[in-house]
Amino acid sequence: MSAKPASTKPASTKPASTKPASTKPWRDVIALADLEPNWVTRVQVGQRLIAVYDTPSGIHASLALCNHGGADLCDGYFDGHVIECPLHQGAFDVRDGRPVAAPATRPMRVLEVRVRDGMVQMRL
Amino acid sequence: MTQGVVTPLTQALAEGKLTREDLKSLMQRSDGPALRRLALWLLVLAVTATLITLAWDSWLIWPAMLLHGVVLVHHFSLQHECVHYTAFRTRWLNDLVGQICGLIIMVPHRFFRYEHCDHHTYTQLTGKDPEQVPMPRGYGEYLLYLSALPYWKTKFTEVARHAAGRLSEAEKRFIPREEYAAVIRDARVMLAIYALIFAGMAASGWWGLVWYWIIPVFLGEPVMRFIRMTEHVGRPEVAQMSENTRTNLVSAPWRFLCWNMNYHAEHHYVASVPFHALPRLHERLRDHIHVEPGGYLGAHRDILRRIRAQSREGRE
Repeated sequence: MSAKPASTKPASTKPASTKPASTKPWRDVIALADLEPNWVTRVQVGQRLIAVYDTPSGIHASLALCNHGGADLCDGYFDGHVIECPLHQGAFDVRDGRPVAAPATRPMRVLEVRVRDGMVQMRL
Repeated sequence: MTQGVVTPLTQALAEGKLTREDLKSLMQRSDGPALRRLALWLLVLAVTATLITLAWDSWLIWPAMLLHGVVLVHHFSLQHECVHYTAFRTRWLNDLVGQICGLIIMVPHRFFRYEHCDHHTYTQLTGKDPEQVPMPRGYGEYLLYLSALPYWKTKFTEVARHAAGRLSEAEKRFIPREEYAAVIRDARVMLAIYALIFAGMAASGWWGLVWYWIIPVFLGEPVMRFIRMTEHVGRPEVAQMSENTRTNLVSAPWRFLCWNMNYHAEHHYVASVPFHALPRLHERLRDHIHVEPGGYLGAHRDILRRIRAQSREGRE
């Protein structure tokens, strides 16, 4: 795991989702400096809970609730690029949402992210 | 707002029993503690296997096999840790070691993982918890469970059913449809490996594994049943983790063998915490969970007291 503070990390350069890029406008979600370094940070945007990951390859994000049992991934163990659900330890690669450990079998929904002027932005 | 499901962990965080910083620190994983413990584990196995060799021509071979078997059946504890990916930081090591442990004690790893997920979701809820050990209705049932005969009957039936390509309706509730084939394949591979081992022994004329592995596992399993009963049996059949699970304070050798799983309530509170951090988690949660200071024997005294009370109520 990188020891660099979150504030030095670039955002992931490519959208993690396999879906076509959204046409919705970018909006600020959290300041880069407020992210937990090398960990997952919970962010609430409107009605949504979002998990923002500070990883060795940049900032990634996904919906915060596990698509298996509905637990909050932000309370889970995070290591490198893998977020593990706190309830059953199902795990996902945060770069593309790919499930990497049972009981997770479906990809989680990842969100398009960029960093501008010290702010993590997403199209929501 | 869309919220996650309420879990023991979210409750502990909300009630201030744990902070997010505590949680982060407790969840940190490393390969070192498990590799060191595994080295000692192999040494203990070598010692108990040597005792069987030394006792080969005397009746002492039976206590030696029992002792060896007690260690062998505790591969369940290591497999359990691997099921949670908390033994090793390196994820594939958990899969590999878990598969090997499962082969030693006939517990297919993938199936156990799915079944165990539902055990954590529905802990001690009758009809929903697939691993629930029912409260014995009398001394006969208590002793029958401890004999491990019902356990082995269930286990052999389960593996044979899966190898035959069938899953029960209860199993289909916790195994995702896309994993049915893999669970069936695992059971077939496991039986094929056992068949190969027996064929190898028959071909070579060396039946040593029967004495160093198979008989010891059968002799040791009642001890594992004795321990498994202490985790939940006799506790209230409710969703509250502070009530439905026992933490048993046991001596260092037992903690070594069970990979600290005597801290069972702590494990259920935060299943992402690795075995080596459970004593630290115990210090944080000890006042919020049910702790049995008398250890495994204390838990069984409690179970027997409850059986006695049930019998008395039945007579009145």
